[in-house]
Amino acid sequence: MVTWLKYGVILSVFFSFFLLIYLITKTFSFGTKELNSQPSGNRKKGVMFAFGRGMMPWEKESAKKHLLTYGAGIIYHSGIFSAFLLLLLDLFSVKAPSLLNSLFIVFMTSALVCGIGLLLKRSLFKSMRSISSPDDFISNILVNSFLLISVIHFFVIPIKIPLYSAGIILFMYIPIGKIRHCFFFFYSRILFGSFFGRRGVYPLPRTSSQK
Amino acid sequence: MISQKEKNKIYQQKVQSLSNTEQKIIQREFENRIHSECAAYLNTCAHCGLCADSCHYYLTSEEPENMPAYKLSLVTKVFKKNFDVFGKKFPKLTGAEPLNKKNIEEWIDVLFGRCTLCGRCTINCTMGINIPYLIRAARGALASAGLVPPGLQSTVDTAVDKGNNMGISKEDWLETIEWLEDELKEEVGDPKAALPVDRKNSRLLYTINPREAMFFPLSISAVGKIFFDAKESWTFSSKNFDVTNYGLYSGDDTAAGLISERLIKSLYQLRCKELILAECGHGFNSNRWEAPEWLDLKYDFQVKSILEVIYQYIKKGRIKLNPELNPAPVTLHDPCNLVRLGGIIEYQRYILKKSVKNFVEMVPNREKNYCCGGGGGQLAMTRFAERRIEAGKIKSQQIKETGAKIVATPCHNCIDQLMELNKHYKLGVQIRTISEIVADAIV
Repeated sequence: MVTWLKYGVILSVFFSFFLLIYLITKTFSFGTKELNSQPSGNRKKGVMFAFGRGMMPWEKESAKKHLLTYGAGIIYHSGIFSAFLLLLLDLFSVKAPSLLNSLFIVFMTSALVCGIGLLLKRSLFKSMRSISSPDDFISNILVNSFLLISVIHFFVIPIKIPLYSAGIILFMYIPIGKIRHCFFFFYSRILFGSFFGRRGVYPLPRTSSQK
Repeated sequence: MISQKEKNKIYQQKVQSLSNTEQKIIQREFENRIHSECAAYLNTCAHCGLCADSCHYYLTSEEPENMPAYKLSLVTKVFKKNFDVFGKKFPKLTGAEPLNKKNIEEWIDVLFGRCTLCGRCTINCTMGINIPYLIRAARGALASAGLVPPGLQSTVDTAVDKGNNMGISKEDWLETIEWLEDELKEEVGDPKAALPVDRKNSRLLYTINPREAMFFPLSISAVGKIFFDAKESWTFSSKNFDVTNYGLYSGDDTAAGLISERLIKSLYQLRCKELILAECGHGFNSNRWEAPEWLDLKYDFQVKSILEVIYQYIKKGRIKLNPELNPAPVTLHDPCNLVRLGGIIEYQRYILKKSVKNFVEMVPNREKNYCCGGGGGQLAMTRFAERRIEAGKIKSQQIKETGAKIVATPCHNCIDQLMELNKHYKLGVQIRTISEIVADAIV
């Protein structure tokens, strides 16, 4: 049973990956347009800004104002990727170094707390409910469940069957719902950097930083 | 002549009796507007809601409809229903919805009536989604079925039919220039001072916002004075002088392209080297950045803001300024289309620091500035006027906090909105263009 589930996880990872590739390909199939206007800034610098300084709370007001949510988001994602990595190592019976393991305990348990917090925020605030579809709740619950089972499996008591089952469900769901943003995030951020970089808006010279 | 009220009534009836064919037209145009960038953005939103209080509408009225993520979700749900394999299969799960009458009504109210396309949400979006870009695409789809709110559509129509958005005739325009030229001669004490029209082979072709000719002629003479002092070779066009382009706001690319193309034709006819755009935020964004895309044309000439030109004059010593001549404290409002979306950020600061004794920055400023509420075609859509004034409260507070007596802004739409805010929120300030301030500081 465990072996079958193990193969199931690997297959679901491939399923997810290929479907995400399909979605990206489909996105490109809508066609891109070469821009005619003369640039006044630098596209590449804009993209570098988008993935660097532009993500920092001192540059991004929304992050600065909502440090708790912003921080929770970062911890949440770090925890999820840690759990994915541990699952991958587990599939190939590789043991993570103990230091890395300790680090992952912190990431994954904090991520679980943050995930529950984010779910509560989405459920309790009217404004958040207004922008949410069932997919938002399901995505969050699936990820939280996966994190919970991973924490139990890796740090409390081995429960391979629930872990692999949760993994399969999660990986199968990734391309279907909003979790696909983990793929599209990079594309959108590149577009963001290109747009503002090309127009000479970003990166702003440090001398012009705001009060 | 049909009154605005009657136009609004007819429009409302049209929305309510929308036929299936019209719905299909909107649907088809929406599909045409989707390309890879749009599709990527529409797949990216994680509904984190962090964008909410970057929007001046939400900050002044916490209705969910004012959240940028909500506005975007109206577009996303239609996209998912039509283009997303899982949205088609599991609409309830993913929130996918077809474009129907109910959605179209909400699109009109929210996408036209609760957004100035200022782009502040974009720079605050965790993912970097260009929300105004998508909202404009949806506006364009509505435009294809004639569903642009009447005030905004009238402004576009007037520009298309009469050559400028205020319907100023050539005779009136030339007459205005004539008397402004007489005044300029008197002011500078030189009979050679001129506001040239249709002067071929001039280096610069200068454009204005037609509101300047109608209501703010002093800003035209101010630029005339600066050009005269800098000994510039420049001209107006007698025919195509309008820098504005409300097609940017209605989402109608065809009309927008047509309006911008006229300026290019005039530039070629007059054999000018550079197209210089007056102090107009959306006019700059339209003609500098968007028009080459609407027209699918690579320009072989430069398009610049008048601020870039004045900056060069000061740098090269072509005009001399005395800041003591402008002693009152001055603050600067950054027009979204010029600054956040246009990249003209530091020129105006340099110019003001050389022209006034006491320059105070608003906080936040530059690309992080708050929209005044006058963009997005809001000034033309009377049906949303109350919301516009309410949304301007944030800008009013910013102005009050600076303690400035003068608010300088390089945009006539912003000027109109700020003048209304000045009155409504009793700010007791004077609103001026940058050129007017520079002209007063010339020695």
